[in-house]
Amino acid sequence: MVGLDSKQGFHSLVKFLIIHRLKQASGLIAALISVAALSGCSAGDRGLLNSEVRKLDPSPLAPFPFTFSLDRLGSFFMILICAVALPVLIFSVSYVSRHYTAARQKWLWALLLVFIASMVGVVAASSGFAFLVAWEIMSLTSAGLILLEGSSGERRHNLFIYLLMTHAGTAAVIASFLVFLPHSHTLDFAAIRAAGASLPHGVRIALFLLAFVGFGTKAGIIPLHLWLPRAHPIAPSPVSALMSGVMLKIAVYGFVRFAFDFLAGGPSWFGYLVLAAGAVSGLLGVLYAIAEHDLKRLLAYHSVENIGIIYLGLGASLVFMAHDARVWAALALAGALLHTLNHALFKSLLFLGAGAIADSTHTVDLEELGGLQRRMPVTGAVFLIGCCSIIGLPLFNGFISEWMIFRSFLGGSILVNTNAQIILPLMVGVLALIGGLAAACFVKVFGVAFLGRPRSQEAERASEAPLSMRAGMILLAGACVVIGTWPGAFLRPIVSLAQSLVGATAAPPEALAIARVIPWVAAALLALLGAVAVLKRAKRLTPTWACGLPGLTSRMQYTSTAFSKPIRFVFARVYKADRRLEVLPEDQPYFPASISYHSERTTSYERALYRPFVDAVVAAANQLRRLQTGNIQVYLLYIVLTLVCLLIYLRFAG
Amino acid sequence: MKIAMGILQIVLLVTGAPLLRGIVGRLKAVLQRRQGASIWRPYSDLWKLLHKEDLAPPSASAVFGLAPLLLFATSILVTAFIPLLADSALLGSAGDFILLVYLLAFGRFFLALGGIDGGSAFGGMGASREALVSSLAEAPLLLGLVAVAIQSSSASIVGMTRWALGKSFFNISAVHLLAFLALSIVALAETGRMPVDNPTTHLELTMIHEGMVLEYSGPNLALIEWASAIKLSAIVGLLIALFAPWGMATTPSLAALGLGVVAWLAKTFALVAALAVIESGIAKLRMYSVPDFLGVAAAISTLAVIFTALMKG
Repeated sequence: MVGLDSKQGFHSLVKFLIIHRLKQASGLIAALISVAALSGCSAGDRGLLNSEVRKLDPSPLAPFPFTFSLDRLGSFFMILICAVALPVLIFSVSYVSRHYTAARQKWLWALLLVFIASMVGVVAASSGFAFLVAWEIMSLTSAGLILLEGSSGERRHNLFIYLLMTHAGTAAVIASFLVFLPHSHTLDFAAIRAAGASLPHGVRIALFLLAFVGFGTKAGIIPLHLWLPRAHPIAPSPVSALMSGVMLKIAVYGFVRFAFDFLAGGPSWFGYLVLAAGAVSGLLGVLYAIAEHDLKRLLAYHSVENIGIIYLGLGASLVFMAHDARVWAALALAGALLHTLNHALFKSLLFLGAGAIADSTHTVDLEELGGLQRRMPVTGAVFLIGCCSIIGLPLFNGFISEWMIFRSFLGGSILVNTNAQIILPLMVGVLALIGGLAAACFVKVFGVAFLGRPRSQEAERASEAPLSMRAGMILLAGACVVIGTWPGAFLRPIVSLAQSLVGATAAPPEALAIARVIPWVAAALLALLGAVAVLKRAKRLTPTWACGLPGLTSRMQYTSTAFSKPIRFVFARVYKADRRLEVLPEDQPYFPASISYHSERTTSYERALYRPFVDAVVAAANQLRRLQTGNIQVYLLYIVLTLVCLLIYLRFAG
Repeated sequence: MKIAMGILQIVLLVTGAPLLRGIVGRLKAVLQRRQGASIWRPYSDLWKLLHKEDLAPPSASAVFGLAPLLLFATSILVTAFIPLLADSALLGSAGDFILLVYLLAFGRFFLALGGIDGGSAFGGMGASREALVSSLAEAPLLLGLVAVAIQSSSASIVGMTRWALGKSFFNISAVHLLAFLALSIVALAETGRMPVDNPTTHLELTMIHEGMVLEYSGPNLALIEWASAIKLSAIVGLLIALFAPWGMATTPSLAALGLGVVAWLAKTFALVAALAVIESGIAKLRMYSVPDFLGVAAAISTLAVIFTALMKG
C-alpha cells in the first residue's frame, strides 16, 4: 500500500480543501502537497528499484475492475510527476496569490491538485477502466485550469479544439482497450499483457496503430499536434509547466505501456513509423518554434520537438527489438525514457521562467523584452540553465539522453543486411539538425529576452521574482545540472527498467561509459574556467559602438523576428507564409499615405489536412439533420423500423 | 607516460595554435604577392590584448564576460580528444565524437549570446548568421564522423585513428574519401574561413564571426581570438587523425615520437597550405549560398554513411 500514500494524500487534501473552504491557505496547502509529493517520490523510488508490485483494489466499490498497482514503469513516471509537481507547486505559492482573486485561487488550487492526482492515477492504474477514468479526469481538469485564466471568445475556441482533439485521441485509446477485450476477457493489465503475447497479426497491427494515434494525439506528434501550441500558451504558467512537462509524458507512458509492455514490439515497420513520426515532429516542431516570438507558444512548439526526439528513441528501440538486438534496444529505450524525465524537468523550468517574466513585465512577447538578465539575475541564470539543457549542451541533462539516442542510432550499423543498417545511422543527421536548429532558437530566446537593452518600458522596470518562485525554478535547474554532471546514479535504474521492458539480458556498456567520463569533463571544465579567470582584469564601462554616431537606441538591436529571418528564409518552403502588402492610395505607389504588411504562418495544416476533414464532418452532419424533422410521427416510425430490424437480426443471427 | 603524452599534445595544440594562424596569413600573403606579417605576429597580438583594459558596454550582463571564458575552456577541452604525435589522447578513448562536437557547440552558443549582449545591431546580426551556419553544419559534421565510426567500429577518435593506422594508404575506401570531403567543407564553416566567412573583414554585409566579437576588446578579445585559433588547429589535427594518421608513434620510444613530430608538422603544413590556396582562390559565398554549400556536404556525408552499409554487405 505504500506506493499509494501520495494518491490518497492528494485525495484527502482535495476533500480537506473543498470542505473547509480555506481562504488564505496557499502556504499550508503547498507544504502539505510537498510532503505528499515527496512521499510519492520516495514510493516511486522504492518501486523503481524493486520488481515487487504493490496493489490497491477498491473493485468491490466499482462496477468494473478498478485496480491500482505500481510496477517499475509506473514508478518511474510517478517519480517524474512528483519531481516536477513539487517545484511547480512551490513556484505557484506566490504566483497564484499575486495573480488571482481569492475565489479563483480556491478553484485553481483544487483543480491543480485533482490534475496532479489524476496523472498519478493514470500511471498507477492497473486496469483499463481505472486508467481511462484517471485519463479523462486529467484531460478535463487541465481544460478547467485553462478556463480559469479567462474565457474570451478566442480562448474558448482554442480550448474547444483542445477538448475535441484530446477526446478524439481518447476515443482511439478506448478503442484499443476494447480491441484487447475479446482476447484478454478482462481489462486487467496482467491479463492484457498475457494476451499480448499471442495476438493474431491483424489485431496486433490494429492495436498498435490505435495506440499510436491515441497517445500520439495527446503527446502532440505532428500532424496531431494542432491543439498543443493553442492550449499550452493560454494556461496559467504553472499549469503550462505541468501540461508541457508532465501531461505529455503521461501520453508517452501510455504509448510505452502499450507498445513495449503489452505488445512487446512487433514487425520492424512499427519502429520505422515511430521513427518517421519522431523525425517529422522534431524537425517541424523546432522550425515552427524558431518562427515564433510569443515565448510560451515557442516553448509549446519545442515540446512538439522534444516529443519528436523521445519518439526517435522509442522508434529505434522498436526497430532493434524487431531485429532481436535487445541490448541496443535497451540503450535506445533508456535514452528515450531519460529524455522524457529530462524534458519534464527543463521544459517546466522554462515555462516557469516564462511565468516569472510575465509576472514582472506583463508580457511574454520577445519583441517587448530585453536586458532582463541585469534586472532578474536569478531568473536569468536558471533560465539559461534550462536553455543549455534543452539544446543538449554537455554537462546539462539533455545531453546525456540525446547522446544515448545518438549512440543507439550508431549501433544500427550492426544490423547487417537490413534497412535499419542505413536508416538508423542516417537518423543521426536528423537528430543533429534538430539539435542545431534548437540551439539557434535558444540563442534567440535567451539573447533577445535577457541580454542587450530593454525594448520596452515594462522590461526596463522589471524586477526579480519573489522568493518562492525563484526557489521552485532553482530546484528544477539544480536537477538539470545534477543529472547532467553526475548521470551514473540516474542511469542505472533507468537502464535496468529499459532492460526489463525489452527483455535484454545485459546492460548496454555505452550507458556506463558516458556516466564515467562526464564527471571528469565537468571537473576539467571547472578547473580550466578557474585557471583562465585569473587573466581577467577590472572592467571599465564604455558605450556600445554605434559607428561613431550618437543616439544608439534599443530599437536598433536585432529583434526576435530579425534573428530568425535567415533560417526562415532557408526553410521558406516549410512555413508557406501568407504575405500581403497593401499600399494606399493604390495609384501612387511611390508616395504612399499608408503601408500595411500582414504575414501569417503555419496555417498549412489547417488548410491541407484539417479543413477537408472538418468540412466533411459538417457536411455529413448537415445530411444527418434531415433525419430530425421535428415531427413526432416520423420519430415513432424510426423506433418501429429499428425494432423490426433488430427482430429480423435476432431471428437470423440466432 | 600516456598521460604525459596527452598533456604534451594539448600544450602543443594550444600554444602552437597562434603560429598556425600566422603561417596561414603569411602563405596567403605570399600567394597574393604581398609582403605579409611575420608568422609570429599572432603571439604579439595576444600579448598586446592581454595587457589592455577590459572594456564592456553598459548594457552587458555577466554573460558578456562569461562567454569568452567558456569558449576558451571548451576549446582546450576539445584538444584533449585529438591524437597528434601518438595514437592516444587524454579523452581520446573515453570520450567519443558526439561529446567532441557538442563541446564545440557549447562555446559557440555562449559566444553568440555574448555577441547579442553588447546591445548593438552588429552582435545580433553576427549571432543570427552564426546560428544559421552552425545549425546547418552540425548534421554533415556528425554524419561524416558516423561514416568513419561505422567503418572503424569505434565511436572514439583514438579508436578511429588506430583503425586507420592498421590500414595502408592504398587500402583506403570510398567512404573515407567522401567523409574527408564532407568534413573538409564543414571544417571551413566551423572555423569561419572562406568561402563561408571572411576572417579578415569588418564589412557588415559579409561578417559573421567578426560581427559577434565586435564589442569585445582587451583580454576578452584575446581569449576569443586564441580560442578560434585553437579550434582551427584542433580541427586540422582531427582531419589528420581520422584520415591520414600514418607516422604517429604507436610505441613509446623516442625515435617513434620523433617520426610522429615530423609527420605531424609535414601534414599540418600541407593542410594549412591547402587552406591558404582555397582562401586566396575562392571568393566568399553570398550569405544565402552558404546553405547550399553545406547542403553539398550533407549530401556527400549521407552518401558516405550509405556506402558503409554497402561495403559491409
